[in-house]
Amino acid sequence: MGFTRYVTARVAWAGVVTFIIMTVTFVFIAFAPNPEVKRAATQAALQGGDPTEAVERVRELRGLDQPLHVRYIDYVTSIATLQWGWSTMRSQPVTAALVEALFYTAQYSVPWTLLTITIGPLVGLYSSANKYSWRDHVATGFAFFGYAIPNFFFAIILLLVFGVWLEWVPVIYRTTVPVFSVENAIQLVLPVFVLVTGSIGGLMRVSRNESSEYMNADFVKTARAKGVSPLRAYALHILRPTMVPLSTTMVGQLLLLFAGSSLLIEVVFSIPGLGRLLFEATIAQDTNLVLGSILVFVLVAVIGNLLQDITYTVLDPRISYDDR
Amino acid sequence: MSAGFDAGAGEPPLLEVENLRTTFSTEAGELVAVDGVDFSVEDGETVCVVGESGSGKTVATESITRLVDTPPGTITGSTRYRGRDLQVMSADELRSVRGNNIAHIFQNPQEAMNHCFTVGWQIVEALQAHQNVPDEEARERAVDLLDRVGIANASSRFDDYPHEFSGGQKQRAMIAMALVGNPDLLIADEPTTALDVTVQGQILELLNDLQEEYGMGILLVTHDLGVVAQVADRIVVMYAGKVMERGDVYDIFERPAHPYTQALMRCLPGKGEDTRGIPGSLPDPTTPPDGCRFAGRCEHAIGECEIGDQPDETSVDTDHAVSCVYYQQGYDTATVRDETLETDTGDERGASDD
Repeated sequence: MGFTRYVTARVAWAGVVTFIIMTVTFVFIAFAPNPEVKRAATQAALQGGDPTEAVERVRELRGLDQPLHVRYIDYVTSIATLQWGWSTMRSQPVTAALVEALFYTAQYSVPWTLLTITIGPLVGLYSSANKYSWRDHVATGFAFFGYAIPNFFFAIILLLVFGVWLEWVPVIYRTTVPVFSVENAIQLVLPVFVLVTGSIGGLMRVSRNESSEYMNADFVKTARAKGVSPLRAYALHILRPTMVPLSTTMVGQLLLLFAGSSLLIEVVFSIPGLGRLLFEATIAQDTNLVLGSILVFVLVAVIGNLLQDITYTVLDPRISYDDR
Repeated sequence: MSAGFDAGAGEPPLLEVENLRTTFSTEAGELVAVDGVDFSVEDGETVCVVGESGSGKTVATESITRLVDTPPGTITGSTRYRGRDLQVMSADELRSVRGNNIAHIFQNPQEAMNHCFTVGWQIVEALQAHQNVPDEEARERAVDLLDRVGIANASSRFDDYPHEFSGGQKQRAMIAMALVGNPDLLIADEPTTALDVTVQGQILELLNDLQEEYGMGILLVTHDLGVVAQVADRIVVMYAGKVMERGDVYDIFERPAHPYTQALMRCLPGKGEDTRGIPGSLPDPTTPPDGCRFAGRCEHAIGECEIGDQPDETSVDTDHAVSCVYYQQGYDTATVRDETLETDTGDERGASDD
């Protein structure tokens, strides 16, 4: 069966890609100065000890005196066994810190993603069905606005208006409220809104342009000539083929925002999620935590691309699984 | 092919098109694609609309069930299916006529089916749009029809996607899709133009057989007079959105009255020496000329031809009318008659009613 083979091959590829990225990261870190070693040397010097000896001791303790290939094998096994080390900044295992952060990131990412993938294509379709009407112009204007305005800037403005002046939403994110509560929903409205405006702009435009192409397609005329209802014609005969190229844009857009903007959004709204964790870990030179956070983003990107490849072939029956 | 039988008194005809006018608003101004066209189709007969590309044939037939997008199009006049005007009925009512009573086949089978769904799914969709048929039964009917239109291994081809069908097979599947609702009228817009010559004949033959089987009227749009001679009962000759001449197949082929019809006939291989085509080109549809639309390319044109509107239709025989000044009072018909065509056509083409 071609499909199973295709998916297996894709998953294997995803594994190879992850491995390559992990190796590159290892090389970078191996050649970068280690803040822990530096700290030990400084401390020893301050306390009148021998910095060289202290450095040796730490290097031995951390296994840095081992040859490169031994350290590499060690590194790979610990990643595979989920032993991602100890975060000095958080004083807890890296995995535990990541899980905690992921919990907060998911709270705004899940609604944001769901809203984007439902609203984006539908508004684009609506826009294209009412092409060049005032509704289309409003939607297009909104799309360009969301696409053009930097997310973090928009977030600050909204926070200023609704948080500081109107006091409708809390300025500082509270981690104490329960996940499924009105308070939590209120404090998540702004970050979700900002991210949705940022991401649906592109999707709306692609959806509008792609579906405009199908709006006048012969097969849509066939459907109308068959007596198919307009709603069904839109949903099945226009939106369905539109989803093929759109699914590619969709994953790309979502990943870009997830990796890029979510960091800024989390900093602005002070949400203790993955983006802020990576940001703070970098400032604090917590190598293990930086590495762990990067790995999470790498995994999300790899899985996203994998899903994109698979949905593309599933959505368009003309693409064959063979010879790929 | 059988000639149309007369509908009983009081029974409205299958399709009546009256003063149909379709315009499009474009940046260059109002484009008149169809300009006051009348014709009718009776049960069981084949009416062919002929004319060169751009003469408004396709727009005319797509205006019948309002398939033309409005806007930018505007359709006026009336198109009556068994007396019910399709131009004024509600969208829902129209939807119940489309596919169910009047089915369409389009020119390019390559693009006429949605590439995301299987051929069978699309045939079943046409059926279930009008009848509450369970999936199993619908599938059975679709497979039967695919088999009937000549798709081998119909039950396994049912689940194939359009790209797995050849051009000819797609057009066969389109015919199956059109027939699934048992329509009374089939509008076929150049159904063989995009297909290669060997397949063209097979598709026409299939349509011919199915017409007898289902007793439906066919409105066939084509610019291929060879096809017309094979299948038509009656012919409507269109040029630049206007009807130039109409009549039954023998009249048109044996005694073509309008200079435009004659020019078309001369383009047929083996019809005289003229194989250069018709010199000149169609008038600009945004600014149609005064008088006869064909005057600019007509070798017999005189001053009167370029004044006023398209000449009124003049009857030259029973059921044979022409829109040309020479057939009106005070002109000499002999000027435009083409004797060579009339003798030629009589024994070779016109009588080929098989």
